[in-house]
Amino acid sequence: MNEQHSIVEIWVYLSGSPLVALFITLAAYQIGLWVYKSSKQNPLANPVAIAIILVASMIQYVDMPYSTYFEGAQFIHFLLGSATVSLAIPIYRGLSSLKGRALPLLASLMAGGLASIFSAVNIAKLLGANASITGAMYPKSVTAPIAMGIAERIGVSPTLTAIFAVTTGILGAILAPFIFNALGMKEWWQRGYAIGIGAHGIGTSRAFSIHPEAGTYASLAMGMNGVISAVAIPFLYHLFNK
Amino acid sequence: MISGLVQILLFQSLGEILSKFALPTLPGPVIGLVLLIAWLVLRKGINTELALVADSFSQYFGLLFVPAAVGVVLFLPQLKANALAIISALVVSVILTIATSAVVVRFLSPKASKGLNHE
Repeated sequence: MNEQHSIVEIWVYLSGSPLVALFITLAAYQIGLWVYKSSKQNPLANPVAIAIILVASMIQYVDMPYSTYFEGAQFIHFLLGSATVSLAIPIYRGLSSLKGRALPLLASLMAGGLASIFSAVNIAKLLGANASITGAMYPKSVTAPIAMGIAERIGVSPTLTAIFAVTTGILGAILAPFIFNALGMKEWWQRGYAIGIGAHGIGTSRAFSIHPEAGTYASLAMGMNGVISAVAIPFLYHLFNK
Repeated sequence: MISGLVQILLFQSLGEILSKFALPTLPGPVIGLVLLIAWLVLRKGINTELALVADSFSQYFGLLFVPAAVGVVLFLPQLKANALAIISALVVSVILTIATSAVVVRFLSPKASKGLNHE
């Protein structure tokens, strides 16, 4: 009895400090990275998805309220903003690739971005999803940190948006090679660019692992999609929801 | 390393201030990102300290949105009830998005003579 009492006390003490949340988040991500590497970088074994599932199962198992977890994990969460700003560097590096190709690249971004929003929102609506879900689908092809910023601005759940964005990235990274082969796409830069629009960061890292030129264009597409969507999505959202 | 972080935080703060007082529809970090690109274009280059910080951020980007995404535990009933709608929407939409982007970029690119445009 006394023994058990002291374990409970230790747990109460630990769970009140940010240590537990920080530890399980980093440890889960480490496990995710390890699984990803041992699967030879199979897009299905996405380290972020693994980390999310592990942490979510863990806090449910020990009955830790999400708010308690987040109080500790907010120190990681805070860095999202800084990481978003640092996206300027890969975009700047990709700017020279825009030369002479600005028109096809911008048009492709607009078409792809609109296709993403219209198809996702309308299919979900058609199958009975409510506004809180369809709203969170607007920025799902945008890189997660920017997507969550957009979600906050348009008043939908950043969490749902992050989940949809990560799922979209994984699906895109898996399906893109089949889509490109079916369409007979041969140019690496075009394949990379399209995967960057549809599957943001997860697609970009897949593109880099296949071909460097595809990777450069994918990261350019991801960055441009993030900036342009941050301007356009609040406008589109209010256009269709008022 | 520290100098790189200072630069990032400086642009992030500028972005937050502009977002708060001038451009409320844009998230602060996105404004910071655009300002930093403009600054890099003006300076015509990236200093090594900044590159170091930016590259370490991008390497572990995924880790940073785990805390927010774990909030999925609060939405499990809602996600389960709408599972079919969500999965269909995401799968079909990602195929259409990638296919549309690919077709448009190929259609609008000048047809280079076959085999010569592979750098």
